[in-house]
Amino acid sequence: MAWPPTPQELITVSAPSPGGAGGAYRAFGETLRGLKTTMARVFEGIHTIQYPEEKVPVYPRFRGRHRLHRFEDTGLEKCVGCSLCAAACPADCIRVVAAENTPEHRISAGERYAAVYEINLSRCIFCGYCEVACPFDAITMGQDYEMSDYSRSDLIFTKEMLLAEPLDRTPLRAEGE
Amino acid sequence: MPRPEIHMITFTVDGREVRAPENAMLVDAAKLGDVEIPVFCYEPKLGQPVGACRMCLVEIEGIPKLQTGCSTPVKDGMVVITQSERVKEAQEAIVEFLLVNHPLDCPVCDKGGECPLQDISFGWGGGRSRFIEPKRHFEKPLALSPLIAIDRERCILCYRCVRFSQEISEDYQLILAERSADTYVSTFDGHPYVAPFSGNIIELCPVGALTSQPYRFRARPWDIEGAGSVCTLCPAQCNVELTVRDERVLRVLARQHPGVDDGWLCDKGRFAYQSVHVDERITRPMVREGGELRPVSWERALDEAAGALGRAGAQSAVLAGGGATNEEGYLLQRLAREAVGTPHVDSRAGGGPGRELAAALGAPALQATVPDLEHAHAVLVLETEPVDDMPIVDLRIRKGVRRNRVRLAVATPRPSSLDRNADVSVRYAPGCGEAFVAALSAMLGGEGKNVDELASSAGTTVEALRGVTGVLRGVEVGEGATGSDEAGPRDIVILWGERLTQGRRGAAAARGLLNVAARLRLGGREGAGLLEVPVAANGRGLREAGVLHDAGPGLSEPPHGEMAAIDGLELPDGLARGDLTTLLLWDAEVDAATLAAAGTVIAHAAFLTDALRAHATVVLPAESYAEKEGTVTHPDGRVQRLRPAIGRQGGVRPGWQVLADLMARVGATQDPADPGAGDPRVLTGPMASRQLFEAVPVYAGLTLEELGGRGVRWPAREQAAAWPRADAGPFGLEVPPGPVKANGDLRLGTFRSIWAGPEVGHSPALRFLVPKPRVEMAPADAQRRNVTQGDHVTVGHNGAALHATVVLRDAVPRGTVFVETDALRAGPVDVRKAPPRAGPPAPDPAEAPS
Ligand code: SF4
Ligand code: SF4
Ligand code: SF4
Ligand code: SF4
Ligand code: FES
Repeated sequence: MAWPPTPQELITVSAPSPGGAGGAYRAFGETLRGLKTTMARVFEGIHTIQYPEEKVPVYPRFRGRHRLHRFEDTGLEKCVGCSLCAAACPADCIRVVAAENTPEHRISAGERYAAVYEINLSRCIFCGYCEVACPFDAITMGQDYEMSDYSRSDLIFTKEMLLAEPLDRTPLRAEGE
Repeated sequence: MPRPEIHMITFTVDGREVRAPENAMLVDAAKLGDVEIPVFCYEPKLGQPVGACRMCLVEIEGIPKLQTGCSTPVKDGMVVITQSERVKEAQEAIVEFLLVNHPLDCPVCDKGGECPLQDISFGWGGGRSRFIEPKRHFEKPLALSPLIAIDRERCILCYRCVRFSQEISEDYQLILAERSADTYVSTFDGHPYVAPFSGNIIELCPVGALTSQPYRFRARPWDIEGAGSVCTLCPAQCNVELTVRDERVLRVLARQHPGVDDGWLCDKGRFAYQSVHVDERITRPMVREGGELRPVSWERALDEAAGALGRAGAQSAVLAGGGATNEEGYLLQRLAREAVGTPHVDSRAGGGPGRELAAALGAPALQATVPDLEHAHAVLVLETEPVDDMPIVDLRIRKGVRRNRVRLAVATPRPSSLDRNADVSVRYAPGCGEAFVAALSAMLGGEGKNVDELASSAGTTVEALRGVTGVLRGVEVGEGATGSDEAGPRDIVILWGERLTQGRRGAAAARGLLNVAARLRLGGREGAGLLEVPVAANGRGLREAGVLHDAGPGLSEPPHGEMAAIDGLELPDGLARGDLTTLLLWDAEVDAATLAAAGTVIAHAAFLTDALRAHATVVLPAESYAEKEGTVTHPDGRVQRLRPAIGRQGGVRPGWQVLADLMARVGATQDPADPGAGDPRVLTGPMASRQLFEAVPVYAGLTLEELGGRGVRWPAREQAAAWPRADAGPFGLEVPPGPVKANGDLRLGTFRSIWAGPEVGHSPALRFLVPKPRVEMAPADAQRRNVTQGDHVTVGHNGAALHATVVLRDAVPRGTVFVETDALRAGPVDVRKAPPRAGPPAPDPAEAPS
């Protein structure tokens, strides 16, 4: 096609011309229809949740930030460093380096324990496969979703951070709520 | 025995017609039809199947009961069913049965993720157990040895490890103790299972019962990557797969190659990877400043080294050794000959026969392959202890003797671990290899009158020689075996140690060996020939790359023509005389006295020895084999490729790059007008390989792709015709000198154990194996000198002496002692009780490898 195109080659699409009954309807009718919805909501009351002052409680099965657990009676870590969570993780964000327990230095109940346990939460997609894979229920998904931070490397959670009691920041929805 | 012929037959498996070799086991034959039959105890490497686990049950038409697929040879027209209800039921039952006593502690088990029991339970098991009684318990974890952990609860009693110990490595240590439900794997009295090949049972065990201590809990299969390469810690050059996690080598596995290693590794190869990551390793260049080696930049170190070499010119010498690659060797001789302008290049610190004889010994028609060892009629082991010098061929020889009834003759000065397997084993005096081969040659040539004399100058007897020729000729020992071979030529492999042809009389010994080969008509015969055990791990490759004082690449005429070159043996004299001032050591070790005599020592090394610490001027960090790129040549001529598995540690640079930089720098100093004069035009590893393949006629046309993961034997290629022609005898032999007259003293023989070498001493897991200095002597000799097992003694003569502990060995011939050392030369020595030592004990050999 030559440039510039001849007028025959051009297809012109123009808006309906303003004015007349159609024009008046477009100017007022549609606007009023929208306003009707707005007005209706105004009388319903306030829906906005004033986060972070207010928080929505999460469901018990909500998959938030992970937690590692200890046995309540012995205080030993449940994780034995078997790396199954790392194998299951589709985002490849768990790193486990295992080491051997000794009688003087016993960390977990099994022969081995996780010397390094890290989850890169900036990569995690919160699928919960790690929780499913764990044969000892050592890792579970908690309910915390407040994890924003100023630096990416701060989002790599270490074993100590995951073992620590999380700050109780997220309300849990009660049964039947 | 010659290789058996293979007949192909047709049989049916699961309705599929499959062609398979007759008498292959069903399990293997079914694989050809893509049918997998699960196995636990079956492992063809271990020899005959034992049928211990019953996992492989299949239905065969015409046989009422289920049969074990691992031990039923396939026959023509057989109809096999692996998918019927009956078979399924049996498989599920066996899995359930195996799991009855199995702890299933997969999360803490090192085998998890690569465990055949997991895989088979998942694939063929019923997924349920009816067993509610308590399982059997053992104490765990236990150390079977410092290298191997054993968990007896996980053992499924497949016998694999026990069979390995009893029938492959023949160390006869592992047994099954107790019977039936109480059976467990153990050594007889519970002593640690320490043997040169013990690590193989870790790979053999189909469950996590035997696991590696150094690898314990280090990684899971999904954390790691496998990187194929070649072990260059000894001339056997086994094919290995390095397990890498986070840029660290964590484990070494065998990468089964029937032409090289048969799927086994020795413990040195399996565990010495640890030395890659130790702090003692040199990872930065160093230069001597104010009497001390200090880390400096590469630029500074290269400038210093190039400056020293350039200044010394023809007064510098280059010595290569160890696992230096062919490319490094090739560039090294270019550096010396082209840039520095010195003819003094060598890769044989002990000297050796000249170019012609080396070409005759390495002639493609005369080369045996490693698999020939197991199919020959007879094997002669000459002047080498395979388990120390080239461990993996020790297993090959044992396999040949055990399975194919290969007749074995052993002729060495030192008692050999193969003596028990040998039809004949002969001792001769240390250092008298030349006389021994001369006597053998005379015997084979029917020169009866000579034999007496030669035998006695070798320190052996005519009867012993007759035994050897009897084995070689296939005549029963004891019968007259001096005549010519009526039975026609036979497949005979002579496995000979390079030590035979070292020293000033090396050429004469080489001629004798060629005579023996000629008289046995080994030349040009498939399945027969010579197989050398070089001293350096890549000894053959370095020679072919041209690192010889009298030969260029491919054993061609040396480029320097008439200029007399000083070889490795004369090096100390050359330095002492002042003909040489500067020494470039490329992965080679020489003794402290030699280093002290050199004005400037430039060493490319991975570890600092005491000698280097005291005398080196410039130290360049060497790569470990896990970091190397290049090729090496197996003693049977197989060119194999090394691939880097991990990044180089610290500031280590590739060897080819260091050499190229040195060449460019030396070249630039010599011709200031043309700064690019010395540039070898090597910018990458493959470029170095290409230059090598172009320069060595018998490697012509090779490519790295062609070498791939399995290597290529050049003697089997067309281009082998380019090997220099050399007279292969028979030669008229000179009269060899007799054994050293001991005059009441003892004759000294030296050896180097498998655990020698810096890699072993620097690997924490192997350090316990580093031998304390010891002197092996006959009990009678010890008694005469009033010493006994475990005594501290000094061994030596005229000042030079070393401390050692007495080890009594009945098999040591009277009048001879053996010491593991490079420090003492052969000659008469005296052994005396050491005066109670004052002062600090001798340094740990791990810290000071000689
Ligand atoms: S929740 Fe999913 S993505 Fe996140 S760590 Fe677990 S397995 Fe990985
Ligand atoms: S041997 Fe295999 S099945 Fe048994 S505990 Fe170890 S990984 Fe699990
Ligand atoms: S220890 Fe392993 S290899 Fe040995 S018998 Fe038991 S399962 Fe088999
Ligand atoms: S036999 Fe030699 S090449 Fe093979 S693993 Fe042992 S040291 Fe390495
Ligand atoms: S594999 Fe056949 S019986 Fe074990």
